[in-house]
Amino acid sequence: MTNFYEMTYILNPVLDEEKFSELVEFVNKLITDNGGEIAEVDEWGVKKLAYDIDNKGTGYYVNLYFTATPDVINKVEKNMRIHDDIMRYLTLKYDSKMNRHYELRKKGELPVLFEEEEENTEEDN
Amino acid sequence: MINNPSHPKKGHLKNRDCKFTKAGFEYIDYKETDILERFINDQGKILPRRVTGTSAKHQRQLSTAVKRARFLALIPYVIENMR
Repeated sequence: MTNFYEMTYILNPVLDEEKFSELVEFVNKLITDNGGEIAEVDEWGVKKLAYDIDNKGTGYYVNLYFTATPDVINKVEKNMRIHDDIMRYLTLKYDSKMNRHYELRKKGELPVLFEEEEENTEEDN
Repeated sequence: MINNPSHPKKGHLKNRDCKFTKAGFEYIDYKETDILERFINDQGKILPRRVTGTSAKHQRQLSTAVKRARFLALIPYVIENMR
């Protein structure tokens, strides 16, 4: 039985470009070596964090989609937990609703919350 | 809240329709932080259903989405008041 998963992880921003792609490759390899299959890798790049993690204000975000059997997740997460340069990771198993959402996102037909005039979301400073 | 005219709890009560139901949302993604930010207040708290008019189903999804986004530092846990 295989499931579809999504994983987002944050890398240490102190590293250089070369090290980033190396680490992305490292995570991808962890999955493929255990019999998983990568569907999509989306690197968001260095982004500002909403709060400091390990005294760092920024992080290199990578968003990853893959299919794998459930036992793969344990092995992959175990390796990611130990790794010093991976600051955070979040793995989600996709259910049918999320799968449909993913298909829509791929087609670029995501529903939008349209902006109404009465919305006053401006923050007061 | 009483002295602050731009407080999110004020003036919202006119429209009680769930925006997610209206737009046909099936799953609220934690990555869409621009959506999530409209359902948290200036302290970073999730706004209650009675304020936003969100349906119970979508409010549950929204709260998990906000919590996931917080974990990944996409939105803050708390916004310190500059006072």
